[in-house]
Amino acid sequence: MAAKPGSAPVTYSPNLGQKTRPPIFKDNDLDWVRPDGRGFHQCRPAFFRTGAVNSASGSAYAELGSTKVIVSVFGPRESKKAMMYSDTGRLNCNVSYTTFATPVRGQGSDHKEFSSMLHKALEGAIMLETFPKTTVDVFALVLESGGSDLPVVISCASLALADAGIMMYDLVAAVSVSCLGKNLVIDPVLEEESYQDGSLMLTCMPSRYEVTQLTFTGEWSTPEINEAMQLCLDACNKLGKVMRTCLKEAASASQE
Amino acid sequence: MDGYNCVFNPLFRSKENRLTMGLPNASGDLSTEVEVDAFRRLFPLRFYEKHLLESIRPDARPLGRARETTIALGAVASANGSALAKIGSTTMLAAIKMEVMTPSLETPDEGCIAIDFHMPPICSPIVRPGRPAEAAPVVAKQLSDTILSSGMINLKELSLVSGKAAWMAYLDIYCLDADGALFDTALLSAVAAFSHLEIPVVSLNDDGKIVLSEEQGLSDREPVNKERRKINLSSIPFSLTCVLHKNYILADPTAEEESIMDTIVTVVLDSSSQLVSLHKPGGTVLAYTSAIQDCIALTRQRVKELQKILEEAISGMEVD
Repeated sequence: MAAKPGSAPVTYSPNLGQKTRPPIFKDNDLDWVRPDGRGFHQCRPAFFRTGAVNSASGSAYAELGSTKVIVSVFGPRESKKAMMYSDTGRLNCNVSYTTFATPVRGQGSDHKEFSSMLHKALEGAIMLETFPKTTVDVFALVLESGGSDLPVVISCASLALADAGIMMYDLVAAVSVSCLGKNLVIDPVLEEESYQDGSLMLTCMPSRYEVTQLTFTGEWSTPEINEAMQLCLDACNKLGKVMRTCLKEAASASQE
Repeated sequence: MDGYNCVFNPLFRSKENRLTMGLPNASGDLSTEVEVDAFRRLFPLRFYEKHLLESIRPDARPLGRARETTIALGAVASANGSALAKIGSTTMLAAIKMEVMTPSLETPDEGCIAIDFHMPPICSPIVRPGRPAEAAPVVAKQLSDTILSSGMINLKELSLVSGKAAWMAYLDIYCLDADGALFDTALLSAVAAFSHLEIPVVSLNDDGKIVLSEEQGLSDREPVNKERRKINLSSIPFSLTCVLHKNYILADPTAEEESIMDTIVTVVLDSSSQLVSLHKPGGTVLAYTSAIQDCIALTRQRVKELQKILEEAISGMEVD
């Protein structure tokens, strides 16, 4: 039987019936272990590499746990014909998922919300006036979704921009924190994100100590917000160092 | 970071290649290098013809040689089978997800394979979001024709409960970097993903639905596919694309070569050197049968190389 999209029969994943039960939080539940055995305030090891896509002006690959993304940067190139004249450059962002990125097969369509969030997170860090009348395209593809997808995409995109030689004030590092009961867990995996009570994502330029984007969802108390932001800022600092090392390595490799 | 074992490592090798390779006639003097580059952009065809006279290509390959090829299996953990294939800098990621369907009345004991080929905007400056690449549906059709007609997979092996349930294998191939020979790389990644595919053990629950055996803890229930964890691949198809220009045949063209010399011939042979498909979609060069025979001979050589690369990738997995 030849398969054609459209005429294909209805299918289901054999593991659909299985739902993970959220942990029950009491007042003191510090003995609870995260699915990958990390401490609550411990990030996943980050792996970055620039130059993944040769046909792009710049590109980067990032892997944190099972979250894997590729970002390509094209341009600066001519803006769309319909665009008005502009003294400053334009930034165009797009985030999409592969069909096999999520545990249940998806449609592999564009992620509009993430695209606009990525745009807003990067906008403040790029010197748009250095490429007037033109557009820089930042395209991200999530190969595998393992939680904290958007922060990984943002960090990876800023590396790809640096690889493309786009002028920026600083790299942009992004980290998110999930609120689970009374606990704050940093860099949550997919499972933790699915039963979080609230989440916070912070993107910043570590060496300038400036925040480009800050988002909250869910229920937060003021002391929790303070703690979570401090956690994120510290983690962004460390992540920024890893990203910087990656750029230095790439630069020294190309000189040889 | 140094010791980090990344499954996508093959992705990164090529940039160094590109830097060290250079042009064969670049003498290190900057002014001549600039002139060569300008000549290449202004008169691409003449630039190529000068090389072809010397039986060499700008990337230092002889005409009949394919680019360096690598396969990494198991690149995506969220899929049942996956592979990353790379020919030169053309990179394809193929992944298979298995789902359950009710087989049709005509074929109650056969499963199904749905093949899709995607060119996301990251892969090439030509593709923009919302405007899919022209090449994508062409390659997708070619791929599904080749895989389904080659007889590589016996669809009966995908049956679970006759008339009630069978596997639907969703094969999605993503182009991560487009630099020519898209079909060859896509087919290689697809074949590699099938050889990496591991079918989960499932059983039938009370509602007549198929569920994973391990997760439900239904140890009393008999799995319906205990022995069938791997798909038998018989006569695996491999392909080689060649570009024709005058009397020259260039194997495994880059994107630049494909755009300058527009006549391409794609030959697909299976592992026992039988012809599966031959594709020459027009072009300005009208090929003599001898040229077609030469293409087939080149493909026969290439199939041996690809077979070896695939076998090495599979045995590498078994060691792990």
